[in-house]
Amino acid sequence: MRGDRGTVLGRAIGGQRRHVGQAALLAAGHQAGEALVPVLIGVVIDSAVATGSVTRLVLWLAVLGAVFAALSTSYRFGARAAERASEWAGHDLRVRLTRRILDPRGGAETGRLAGELTNIATGDARRVGGVNVVLPSAIAALTGLLVSAAALLWISVPLGLVVLLGAPPLLWLGHLLGRPLERRSAVEQERAAHASGVAADLVAGLRVLKGIGAERAAVDRYRRTSQESLAATVRAARAQAAHDGAILALTGVFIAVVALVGGRLAASGEISVGDLVAAVGLALFLLSPLQLFAWVNAELAQGRASAKRIAAVLAAPPAVAGGEAPLPDPVRGHVCLSGVHHGPLSGVDLDVAPGELLGVVAPDPAAATALLSALARDADPPQGTVTLDGTPLSTLDPADLRAAILVAAHHTTLFAGPLMANVTPVRAAGDGPVARAMAAATADEVARGLPDGADTVLGERAQSLSGGQRQRVALARALAADPPVLVLHDPTTAVDAVTEARIAAGIREMRAGRTTIVVTTSPALLAATDRVAVLDGGTVTVVGRHTDLVAADPTYRAAVLA
Amino acid sequence: MSEQLLPTATGRETWAAVRGLLRGRLLKTGGAFAVLVAATSAGLLTAPLLGRIVDLVADGHPASALTTPIVLLVLVALVQGGLTALGVALVAGVGEEMLARLREQFVARALRLPLERIERAGSGDLSARVTADVSIVAEAVRRALPQLARSGLTIVLTLVALAVLDWRFLLAALLAVPVQAHTVRWYARRAIPLYAEQRVSVGAQQQQLLDTVGGAATVRTFRLADRHVDLVTERSTATVTLTLRAVRLMTRFFGRLNLAEYIGLSAVLVTGFVLVRADAATIGTATAAALYFHNLFNPINVALSLVDDAQVAAAGLARLVGVASLPATPETAAAEVTGGSVKAAGLGHAYLPGHPVLHDVDLHIEPGERVALVGASGAGKTTVAKLVAGIHQPTSGTVHLGGVRLDELGPSATGGTVALITQEVHVFAGRLDEDLRLARPGATGDELRAALDRVGALRWADALPDGLSTVVGEGGHALTVTQAQQLALARLVLADPPIAVLDEATADAGSAGARVLEEAATAALAGRTALVVAHRLTQAATADRVIVLEGGRVVESGTHDDLVAAAGRYATLWAAWSTTRPRNVPPESAQ
Repeated sequence: MRGDRGTVLGRAIGGQRRHVGQAALLAAGHQAGEALVPVLIGVVIDSAVATGSVTRLVLWLAVLGAVFAALSTSYRFGARAAERASEWAGHDLRVRLTRRILDPRGGAETGRLAGELTNIATGDARRVGGVNVVLPSAIAALTGLLVSAAALLWISVPLGLVVLLGAPPLLWLGHLLGRPLERRSAVEQERAAHASGVAADLVAGLRVLKGIGAERAAVDRYRRTSQESLAATVRAARAQAAHDGAILALTGVFIAVVALVGGRLAASGEISVGDLVAAVGLALFLLSPLQLFAWVNAELAQGRASAKRIAAVLAAPPAVAGGEAPLPDPVRGHVCLSGVHHGPLSGVDLDVAPGELLGVVAPDPAAATALLSALARDADPPQGTVTLDGTPLSTLDPADLRAAILVAAHHTTLFAGPLMANVTPVRAAGDGPVARAMAAATADEVARGLPDGADTVLGERAQSLSGGQRQRVALARALAADPPVLVLHDPTTAVDAVTEARIAAGIREMRAGRTTIVVTTSPALLAATDRVAVLDGGTVTVVGRHTDLVAADPTYRAAVLA
Repeated sequence: MSEQLLPTATGRETWAAVRGLLRGRLLKTGGAFAVLVAATSAGLLTAPLLGRIVDLVADGHPASALTTPIVLLVLVALVQGGLTALGVALVAGVGEEMLARLREQFVARALRLPLERIERAGSGDLSARVTADVSIVAEAVRRALPQLARSGLTIVLTLVALAVLDWRFLLAALLAVPVQAHTVRWYARRAIPLYAEQRVSVGAQQQQLLDTVGGAATVRTFRLADRHVDLVTERSTATVTLTLRAVRLMTRFFGRLNLAEYIGLSAVLVTGFVLVRADAATIGTATAAALYFHNLFNPINVALSLVDDAQVAAAGLARLVGVASLPATPETAAAEVTGGSVKAAGLGHAYLPGHPVLHDVDLHIEPGERVALVGASGAGKTTVAKLVAGIHQPTSGTVHLGGVRLDELGPSATGGTVALITQEVHVFAGRLDEDLRLARPGATGDELRAALDRVGALRWADALPDGLSTVVGEGGHALTVTQAQQLALARLVLADPPIAVLDEATADAGSAGARVLEEAATAALAGRTALVVAHRLTQAATADRVIVLEGGRVVESGTHDDLVAAAGRYATLWAAWSTTRPRNVPPESAQ
């Protein structure tokens, strides 16, 4: 894992090394310039103000101007190069992560929620990219440190040593003071963030709250959470303020010490007044590169943690292996399961004839899911085989396989965008099949009820549609894809009975001559099938026609008509 | 569907709201700022003390003369540190209190908004305000406010200190101001629209990723990976491009500020030069002035770079205040509801004027009766459910619940009389028992368990990692759709209203889950007057009465058996459902 994390970080930096190098060089120039400003103030005081020489005043102000021009230009282009490197590195990671998550072999989502993966692709990718801003800053801080150290030692060795040896312990002390506070404030800030999380959650569940008249209870609960958060935030803010105050006091004392040593050296004539001014300015300046190091450390730690999360996703083992066997051409659609053991399935044998419309009744939802995952090759069954026209699915490339067998899951996603774009996702299969699919799924009616018809833009997860409308559009999409083998899972659970009966007829007509498997307990759909297989206790217990089963099998009747 | 966003407060209203929040905290606020002023003033003594040391050295005083200013320097440091800590803590305290008060007002108001109003605005509007705007304002209060207060005070007091050294130093320093003012104006004009555009772009990128990643299984099924990678690439590229444009702008902004720094610093140094030559100031004073100005670099950069944060925070604040100060729906003196009868007369409704979806619907449900509403999509079932539950006001006609007209009942009495459970499930983030207590705040543990037991959810609830204390919902233990809907029914049992409306509450769970939920719903509805929008006809078959809607009108009404016998629309539906007619064709002839 360490190696993977290293690769992620290495690629993020290496891929942008030109920008990073440029940024480091320019940032170093900027820091050096910032360090020179107090030195030059000292020089102006010393050689112009103290002597009254106009020529020197003009000369040194010109030098100061040149330094300002240089530091400003380096900052401008350095910061741009660093941000460019950071943003594009983050972008590359985002795209790579997306590609990995969508890989036909799957596996990246195992154990991760969609929100978490999205955060990895946004926040973590950005933080790893951000290392490209941190690195030039670190190099620049080092440069600033070296330049001011050299300047201080050049002014006076003892004074330089006081500053150089005094600054690190000072910062270390500040860090020590800050550590317990930081820990505490992190915990408390988390609790503070909780208040806004609770508010968002209550608003998200507003309809549910209103449905049971629980607004008052919710408001009371929110007030409590908000007050708890307030107490936590105020505690965190106090800790932070105490820490900042302590640092300020320590810095002031440090300056006093530098002034004491510098003043004595100047009083004894070992350094000039201007040197003293410059030394005080440098002592103040020195604290910023040192503080920068602390920031660099924290950012790198975050970058490493993010890189680790990214590496874990990129290196997630695929759920199924690839395969090279060619698809049968043309696909006749003969699907055969023999002795399949998979989760709750224990020895399923099922032969689906080409062109058949088969209903599968599985009272145990887990068994239905297992059957679908074997057909979709989301996972390979540990025992037994599933074949398509005699070719085992496990020897096919998952992407090829899904062109032949389309498994339309019950919980499916409609994407943001126009309704029609959802139904004709890839290649326009010609208007004919799409229009027929829309009609068969009664999605044409859904479209007619929308403001812009089939061109109406659906929001996130098409939540503007009712559950039944979503199912009808999703079914139209599956039918429009027109695959040789189509597997539907509970396609009409949220559709009213009138429409469901029409859909059942539509599916039958649209899929005539091509293999279709409908996993459902809906009598309206089952009545339209050629045969029904009942999957119970892990095996196929009975196969027959719906009407016969309803008439003769009390268990079946109970399962579908209860 | 014309969207009508929730109101945004004007600048004046926002100020009034902020003043309202400040009221009662004036002393605290004043005290906090006084302490910060004292802290900053103490800090400003550092530069003249250093100048004094320079003077003492330049005048050839012995090293022992330096002791007093050095001791004073140490003292100043300690006092400044202490006072700053106190001042910042006080400012943060006041700011956080006001923020908490505001967000509480906002949530209290938002949760009591009529659903109709929220739906008109689009549900995204309210949730964007409660997430993005609250956190933007909080961030501003937490980070920007103390920084701005300290920087602002440092700048003002440093300028005062420069004037105290010699008024001509102040004039010299002010030479930088025109450049800074121009730069800020120049920047703000460009930055505000650019950042707004960038935020939209970041939101779109996030949305695209959620869409793509959340639908990864579907993307694989339909082999859409390439297209989705392209979409993500496109959104991400747009965001990166905009971010880099913002970076360019920002670097130009700071570049111009560098120019202002140089102008001011040179002017102060030249002034020092002239004053020292004219014996109007000592070298020490000139040093102090130059150090003062150099120390202004940081606070000025901080203050000016907060300009756009401040603009964004002000916009967010206006959007919060806009909702928080909406007038509350008046609570009418509730007439006493007696029994659980539902009577609707001549109900008509149109979401859009001129497009009625209901015509003259009459409905009479006896207390304790269970009525199923059946019909095709778009027949108006959900609208009837919403009107009876008081979510929408009918365009024409009246609804009486327990003998009282719905619009005379007032919002909280309506909530206590009728409950609406839809297929939209939400599990509130937090402990399971707290979720349930939203429905009955004082419920004992036994009452909660009894409610769960009644809807058949106690077994799985007890089996959760921490039982009823398990954290569920967003970020917690994920419940299945069936479990979440059982929870909704358990809430109904706890809220215990005499009337319940179920709108396809069992629809989304898949066929196996639907049966579990139907049993749960039957248990939860026992003893209540119930109106059930049914799409599985088994729900209709077990109801006391069935009402068939078509095109927004009631076309049939009666018991299941009567309607089946009547051989009308319902009978046709039922036949399609329970069909034993041979209507299927053998596979051989399907070709």
